[in-house]
Order: sequence, then structure tokens, then C-alpha cells
Amino acid sequence: MPRWFRLIFLLVPRESLSVGGWIICGLALTSSIAVLSWPIPQHQGLEFWIFSKGHGDLYETTLTQWNSEKDPKVDMSLLSNEALRQRMLASFLTDTPAADLMEVERNFVPQAFTGPIEDVGFVDLTDRLKQEGIYEQLNEPSFAPWTSRGRIFGLPHDVHPMMLVYRADVFEAAGIDLTQVKTWDEFARVVRPLVKDRNGDGITDYVIGMWATGAFRDHLEALLLQAGGALFDEHDQMQINTEVNAHVLATLVSWMVGPDRIAVDAPEFDAPANKMRLDGRVIAALMPDWLGGVWQMDMPGLSGKVKVMPMPAWEPGGRRTSVWGGTMLGIAKTTEDLESTWAFAKHLYLSEEVAEGLYRSNMIISPVKSFWDRPFYDEPVVYFSGQPYGRLYIELAPDVPIRTSSPFNTYAKDRVANALFRLKEYALETKQYSPDELMDEAHRQLEAAERLVRRQVEQNVFLRSEP
Amino acid sequence: MTTMKHPGSKKKARTAGLYIVLYAALIFCAMITLVPFAYLLCASLKPSEIFFDNLFLPSGDGLFGVGWDKLNLDHFYRLFAQEGFARPILNSTFFASVSGVLATLFAAMSGYALAKYRFWGRETITKLVLAALVVPGALLFAPVYQQLYWFGMLDSYSGLIIPALAPAFGVYLFRQATINSVPTELLESARIDGCGEIKIFFTFVLPLIRPMMGAFLLLTFLGSWNNFIGAQIVLQTPEKMPLAVAINQLRGVYGTDYGLIMAGTVVSILPVLGLFLLLQKEFLSGLTAGAVKG
Repeated sequence: MPRWFRLIFLLVPRESLSVGGWIICGLALTSSIAVLSWPIPQHQGLEFWIFSKGHGDLYETTLTQWNSEKDPKVDMSLLSNEALRQRMLASFLTDTPAADLMEVERNFVPQAFTGPIEDVGFVDLTDRLKQEGIYEQLNEPSFAPWTSRGRIFGLPHDVHPMMLVYRADVFEAAGIDLTQVKTWDEFARVVRPLVKDRNGDGITDYVIGMWATGAFRDHLEALLLQAGGALFDEHDQMQINTEVNAHVLATLVSWMVGPDRIAVDAPEFDAPANKMRLDGRVIAALMPDWLGGVWQMDMPGLSGKVKVMPMPAWEPGGRRTSVWGGTMLGIAKTTEDLESTWAFAKHLYLSEEVAEGLYRSNMIISPVKSFWDRPFYDEPVVYFSGQPYGRLYIELAPDVPIRTSSPFNTYAKDRVANALFRLKEYALETKQYSPDELMDEAHRQLEAAERLVRRQVEQNVFLRSEP
Repeated sequence: MTTMKHPGSKKKARTAGLYIVLYAALIFCAMITLVPFAYLLCASLKPSEIFFDNLFLPSGDGLFGVGWDKLNLDHFYRLFAQEGFARPILNSTFFASVSGVLATLFAAMSGYALAKYRFWGRETITKLVLAALVVPGALLFAPVYQQLYWFGMLDSYSGLIIPALAPAFGVYLFRQATINSVPTELLESARIDGCGEIKIFFTFVLPLIRPMMGAFLLLTFLGSWNNFIGAQIVLQTPEKMPLAVAINQLRGVYGTDYGLIMAGTVVSILPVLGLFLLLQKEFLSGLTAGAVKG
């Protein structure tokens, strides 16, 4: 026991603290001794931060093999997404060392791009990627979220194309062949007969999970991107109040309220919504590749009952997919051994073993195009009624829309989600439900959202448009 | 023969009725408060395959139509056998108790000094302490991170404990408690009798501010026990992470084992619940100290 600690106990009269207080003091003493006597292994080599336990489990074999053969070794640490963001930003803002390598999720990476391009905390990989031919090996749209002002700051982990998932058992029982549906208008018309009390509990059951809430903002962005809209273009220039965006918002509202309603509030990662899906009260949803793994874990009861198909397009012949989510592997500028770090990054992200593991464990398809013909992507998946899940997503991968890396995109998504909510309220108040009737108000709401976002963008001298 | 009702018995009956209504309302409110805990406990005992099938307990052929045989302790077993939760529990106990004890001691000392000693700059320091109260914690992440880096305290236990040693809130709280509860005449008498300053603090001052000590100790213990962001930013070695971080890391990006997280949450709640029961009397009297003007 340290002397100063003993001194305090001798000095403090017993009546100064209650029994509980003394118990906490006792805990402090005993836990200090226990912590000091429980040794912690020393970690050495390159530091590698990840935010997904699933990724960590997947990389373990590759990492062990690398560490047994190469030097310096790599030490992987699992952090929560929020902690990784805080540490990354604290390190970049104060110019203090972070990990050598960081796997960062799409929503957080743009925060590293708010300043001058030369001050981005990640190493600019553009020249390396092009000189070593890696850029051509990977699916081009997958670089977009990690590209700022024409420079690429990360290796893409995934593609994340999207499809429509539906309860095949329910649709087949109703005699509806959804695979023949090519556009969203057609989809809304075909599924309308299913909007009724399907399970006899006296409550009307709808079809698809889509609602004007904050949780819907990623879906909303995906639908805007699919339609050729989005909030920022690929050069990060704002384009919120556009004809395409207004049309998407007006159409979504026509699905949420009024006589042609087909949508219901059923967000992902939500227990009551999962129950609705299990009970057949929601029978369709948007599904990026990774969500298939989530559904299998969270809703095993849907095994053999669901199927996926390309998303209906916004116009005949239009894009049949979109994109949601993403992760990159970035190298911090403060790394002391850039060449070793780069070598490990390539080894990990261009590994076929990791690509196969990623698909088998998380249903995620690799951005490495040369792996796309591998037979494991063709294997039938029981959960999805025997469909070759991977192959179906790979067929759509080249069509994934280009996304922005603007740090204001998250703010803009929230503002547009608010615009959607207000448009829905307007429709209820005025009893105007058709997309054509709602277009003018959709433009007004998007204009208001654009004003708010522009105010934020204009405050950033590095990213605002030139006058 | 007519029986006359005592006027008091009618009043008693009315009072009893009022109590019944009052207690029924309180029990109802308590039940609502306990619903999340009941859900937590049920969820921690349900296997993952049937997690979403029922809101609370799984249905079955057992008593009250509950499938009791479907409940098990697998999630708790996995927490300790596979996820190694013993170390995070020890780390949390260490951080919370050491931070709690030291922060209470230093805040009490600082508050006492500001309340009872006359020295140059006392007013300025008091105002600075007050001003520090209004600075949002999130603003301090980057500067604190940089300072810890300069001092070589990143990824160390001290990096988490030392910045929390004298919180502005605690210093001001103890200053007020000392002003309200410690008579200056008592301190002067002690000095006249030859008592040293350190002995005065530990022997006379601490017992007089005991309710505040208990309340603040519990508050800082709970704050450190639940400290998630600070630990995530300062610590990097997985073996040093506290329970709050370990539980959060059970969350997957592409899927979450909710039962395991619920079991982890039950494990993290139980120790603090026990401590709160032990300290609740002092906690409440500490919180209400000074609430009534004497």
C-alpha cells in the first residue's frame, strides 16, 4: 500500500464517511492492487484501429500469418465507431500520432476533409493506386466516398450495391410475380392489392418499410442517388433543390399518405420493426449486401421466405440499384513506416481469403473485380430461398452510383429528411396526395433545406464554391 | 340501539382511502419505471434465436404460459468465458473507485480552501471555477488529448484519472457545503488549541460535510463507471478498457447479439445498484443539503 494512501486512512476519522463511502475506499485500494498485479501484454509494431468486431474476426487469420512472417508486426485494436471518430479527429486536429492504419466508416470519413487538402490527416494514396495498377483492379464507384477534391485517401473495403428484398411466400401466395416489375410506379401499382388486413387482426397491413423519419435518411439518400439526384454532385457541389430530388420526395410522400399508401414505418436495427417483418406486416424493404447478413442473424425466422431482386427503377430503363454504407482503410500521415503500412494495407484488402470470408460471414461483396468470378458468390443461399445472393449483387456492382465525400452531406441529409417530413404534413393538411400535386411544395421545402445547407457550406473557406 | 359513528373514524377512512389511491398511483409509476429493467433481465436470459419472438418472456407451456425452459444463462457464460469480461469489470471498479475517492478528497480540499482561507487571487480562482462549469466537455476533447500526448499519458490509467481529480463542479459544490456547514469559530477554536491545518480538515471539516461527501462520492463513482467517451479516447490497449467500452464493443456493425449486450448491461448495473442502496441515505441528504433555508 503506498504511504500516502495509508496516511489518508490514518488521518480520516471513521465518522467522515458512511459505510458505503468506506466500501468505495476499500474497493479503490483492492482494485488498485489487483490492477497492478495483473500484467498487461505489451503491444508493438504498426497500430491498426478497426470499428467492427466482424472485420476483426475476419482479419485474425491474415494478421496472424502476417505477424509470423513479416516485420514490423501489426497490432489490431477494436474501437467503437464513435471512439474511432473522436480519436481520429483529435489526432488530426492536434497533429498528434493516431494509429498507423484506420478502418473508418463512410459517415465519419468526410469530417477529415473539412480543411485544406494538404492538411487532411490521411496519406494521399492517389498516385500509388494509379502507379501500382490498383485503381483499375477495384470497382471505380467504390473510391468516390474517399475522394476529396480529386485525391483518394483510402482503400475501399466494399461496394454495397442495393436490391429490393421481399417476402416471396406472401407475394407468391397472392399470385404476384414481382420479378416482372421494372419501375417504382409499377411496383406501387402491383403491390396495392396487398394493402389490407392480411393477418385478420383488424389493422391494415402495408407493404414496404419507408417513412419520413431521421432513421430513413440513408434510404432517402440511396433513392435520390438511384434516381440520378443526390444532395452533392461528384465534385461536392450542392444540388439539393432539383427536379429529380423533388420528384423522389413527392413520390415517397404519395406512398406514405393518402389513398395510394403502401409504406409503413419499419426502420432497420429496430426490434418492433423486425417483429413486423417476421409477422408479415412488412413484406418488402431496401437491402444493401451487408444487410442480408444482419437479417440472417436478427431474423432467422425468415429463412427460405425472402428473395432479392434489382430495385425497381425511377424510369423505364433506369438504374436498378443504389448504394448504402461503406468503409475505407486509411493510413495516417503520422505513421513512421509508410511503406510497411502500405504493404500491409494492400495485403489485407486485396486478399482473396479476406474477400471470401467477408462474403461468407457478412454477405459483403469485394470491390476487387478479379474476384467477382469466384464460385463462392454463386452458391445458393438457403435464407434467400436458394438464390445466388452474391452473384445477384455482383451483377449490379458496376452500376452503383457515385457518392459525394462532402463533410456537409450528413447535415444535408438531415435537412432533406426534414423536408420530406414537412411535405408529408403538407399532404395531410391539404389532402393533396399525388406526386404531381406535391411537386411545387417539394421544391419549396427543398429550397428551404438548400438555404440552410448553403449557410453552413459558405462558412467553410476551403470548400465553398468560388463566387 | 343506534350506533353512533365517531367523527374521527370517517376522517380515518377517508385518509386510508386517499393513501390507497396514492400508493396505487405510486406503485403504478414504479412499475413503469421498472419495465425497462424487466425487459433487460428477460432479454439477457433469452437465447438469440427467439430474441424477437416475444417482448418479454418467451411463450410456452410453463407456468403463466411462459416457456421457462427456454431461458438460460448462456449469454452470461459467454460474457466471462469468451469475451473475458472479468478484466473490464476490474478496470471499471478501479477507475470508478480511485477517481471517486481522489476526486472527492481533492474537491473537498479545494472547496474548503476557497471557502475558509483568505489568500491573494481567491476571488479570481472562484470565478474561474464557476466559468469552467459552463464549458461543454466535448469542446475539451482535442486540447485534453493533446496535453495528455505531451505529458506521455495517452493509453495510461493516469491519463484517465488525473484530469478528473478536481472537477470544477465538485470544487464549487464543496465550497458551498463548507460555507453552509462549517462554522469559522470552530476552526478558530481548533487553531487556538494548537491543531494543525491538515488535522483540522480531516478531523473537523470532513465530518461536518459528510452528507456532501457521500453524495459526491457516489456521483463521481457513477460518472466514472459510466465514462465511455473519455476511456475510448484516452485508452488504446484493449486490456485497459472499462466495462462501458467492453459492452459497446459487443455491438457489431453488420449485426448485433442483443442478448449478449443485455447480459453485459445487467452485469454493469448490478454493482452500482448495490452501492446506491448502501449510499442512498447520504446521497439524498447531500442533494437536499441547503435546500431549506435555516
